Amino acid sequence: MITARTVIRAVVALAVTAAGLAALAAASAVRLPWHGANTAALRLSWSAHPERIEVCRALSKAEVEARNEHMRQRVECDGKAATYALRVRVDGALLGDEVVQGGGLRHDRPMHLLQSYAVSPGVRRIQLEFSRRERASDDSLRGAAAVPDADTGIFAGRAAREASERGRLTRAAVPPRLTLDTAITFAPQQVVLVTFDPDGRRLVLRVDTASRRVP
Amino acid sequence: MTTRRLRLARPTLAALDAVANRVYGWRWNPIYQSGTVAVVTLLVLLATGLYLLLVYRLGAPFASVERITQDLWLGRWLRSLHRYASDAFVIAAVVHAWRMLAQRRSWGPRTLAWVSGGVVLAAGLVEAWTGFVMVWDAFAERLAREGARLFDALPIFSEPLSRIFAGEVAVPSAFFFVNLFVHIGLPLGLGVGLWLHVSRLARPTLLPPRTLSWAVVAALTVAAIVWPAPLADAADPLRLAVATPINLATAWWLPWSEQLPPLTVFALATVVALAFLLVPSLTARARTGMLAPSVVDPRLCTGCNQCPQDCPWEAITMVARTDDRPTLVALVDPALCVSCGICAGSCAPMGVGPVGSSGRDQLDAIRLSTVPALRVSSDAPIPSNVVFCCAEAPASHREALRARGALVREVRCAGNLHSSAVELALRGGAPGVMVFACPPRDCAGREGPKWLGERLFNEREAELQPRVDRRRVRVGTMAGGDLRGTLQAFDDFARDVATLAPLPVSGDQDVTQDCVTSADAGGRE
Ligand code: SF4
Ligand code: SF4
Repeated sequence: MITARTVIRAVVALAVTAAGLAALAAASAVRLPWHGANTAALRLSWSAHPERIEVCRALSKAEVEARNEHMRQRVECDGKAATYALRVRVDGALLGDEVVQGGGLRHDRPMHLLQSYAVSPGVRRIQLEFSRRERASDDSLRGAAAVPDADTGIFAGRAAREASERGRLTRAAVPPRLTLDTAITFAPQQVVLVTFDPDGRRLVLRVDTASRRVP
Repeated sequence: MTTRRLRLARPTLAALDAVANRVYGWRWNPIYQSGTVAVVTLLVLLATGLYLLLVYRLGAPFASVERITQDLWLGRWLRSLHRYASDAFVIAAVVHAWRMLAQRRSWGPRTLAWVSGGVVLAAGLVEAWTGFVMVWDAFAERLAREGARLFDALPIFSEPLSRIFAGEVAVPSAFFFVNLFVHIGLPLGLGVGLWLHVSRLARPTLLPPRTLSWAVVAALTVAAIVWPAPLADAADPLRLAVATPINLATAWWLPWSEQLPPLTVFALATVVALAFLLVPSLTARARTGMLAPSVVDPRLCTGCNQCPQDCPWEAITMVARTDDRPTLVALVDPALCVSCGICAGSCAPMGVGPVGSSGRDQLDAIRLSTVPALRVSSDAPIPSNVVFCCAEAPASHREALRARGALVREVRCAGNLHSSAVELALRGGAPGVMVFACPPRDCAGREGPKWLGERLFNEREAELQPRVDRRRVRVGTMAGGDLRGTLQAFDDFARDVATLAPLPVSGDQDVTQDCVTSADAGGRE
């Protein structure tokens, strides 16, 4: 039997349910601040192989012959992966100064860089330097070609192959020094990305459509 | 400290239950049904998710979701329904866990249910996370970045995951594929978790009453149509969004997580997970007195196989006897028994039940206190009716019934009450016996009200003997916040009983023996 009490109860139940659902919907659309309203960012992101710093030594003929035939190498190298210093200046102020090294336990895996710096919107001068920390004299890549023995016998063509492999590794690695010095207009909320272009072997800027380079 | 908090949790829950009972009535109180409501929301998620999956494009995630949202007739509200169902799932699961904790139903044999429930809830949160990321709007990007930031602190990936969102290249489809894979794969794990959650139960109730199920679906659908779920701007790795919408029900952790170092987040998550896992041992109580496991008296057990059928926790098995009687004998596994006492009401010869709560213990208690009180009351102009109610029943209701002249007696659970106790009270001089059970979905013993009704009125073992006038016996529901309903039910019963001719007081000497004889006859059939 429908009584006034039943009706009131149904109305209250509907009202409470509606309020609960409205709260559920409101809780699904709460605005949560994320980045500041008038901010921009300079982001650095790239992956590259570190150079390999090797100390190479040409083996003597006796040393080579003392080895099993399949183990005979004329040049033996001992080395490590290079480390890099990253310096980031915005309008002359040093925002970032850190050491970047390759991944893995021996740091000989590719290095992955991802840094972000908050920047005020406006025209900003960006200076970026990414340079190898080890001295050039540590690098004995060129020494590898200076093998005294003739390229004959089981070594036939090997010197060329080794040189080409070393060249490939050098090209695959990041150059010893990368720089970027430019001025750019940061629009509010804009991210300017600096990345490494492996084909051009240089740092390049990626900006969204709202940005423009200052000539 | 923990115990004090738990003591506070109980009255808080009771107060909330009382409010919900007043608003919806105990039959439709969604808080009683929180566990099953969570299952309904899962089904809604499954149904709406299947549709969304059909129109979702891995290669253009935002564009496909935007297209869904622009479809006013179907896509928009289905997506919103999917969203609100996931919110409702988390809320219902949390309420359910809180209910179990407040009612101290989170330890001992219930440990597996507690732990698996926690895992299901955690999986639900991860599921919501991956679901939001699928949309690939600004909120999705925010969640994805936070996830990547946390994972990057672990020595798992050689390349930081965060670089996916650096903006060097478009976010690869592989990322969305893996995300989708997790989003689809997790529900399978969720299903296993749910199965574990109810695996200890004899007859798990997975869904609420049909009307309530559809009411939940309808309510969420209305919300989805009236307040469509927001879609933020498309994710843009080279734009810094000032703010994003956030879903508080499922991503409440995000504002905190973003402020903390990843390892602190992991440490906090571990602490929360450990605290959750430790709840069963922190809330465990000594298994003595009321909480002692049920025991079987093999001398009384006739091997009728009724108590294994009635036990809601499958804690009783029938095993070979060690004496020369030809029947099997019941055996209670204390590790599975939750001491609900339901078995005590199921045994005609009263050979099983928790210590102090077996049928025989109940008869002793009635002989000791109720029958003498009835003798006194029989001289009064209106003799007292006897009311049996659950020990969990609200004290205010019991007091109000006493004030109306009822002789109120408590049993551990209405399903614990042996039918012979009802008969004994009538033979002892009570004009009528009313048994108040908790609302069925609020029964700590899970099936107390169901078996009580079956035993008193539908001849389920141990049934109320045919000689007992059913007009003098009634079962009611005592729900917090519904004192009016309790008193109304009692007044109606008392009025009906008053119209019946007075019963002669016949003594109680035969009650126990009658039950044994009846069970023996049943066993021989
Ligand atoms: S109900 Fe009683 S008689 Fe029947 S099996 Fe259980 S303990 Fe034995
Ligand atoms: S008290 Fe009886 S019915 Fe309850 S769990 Fe234990 S054995 Fe099963």
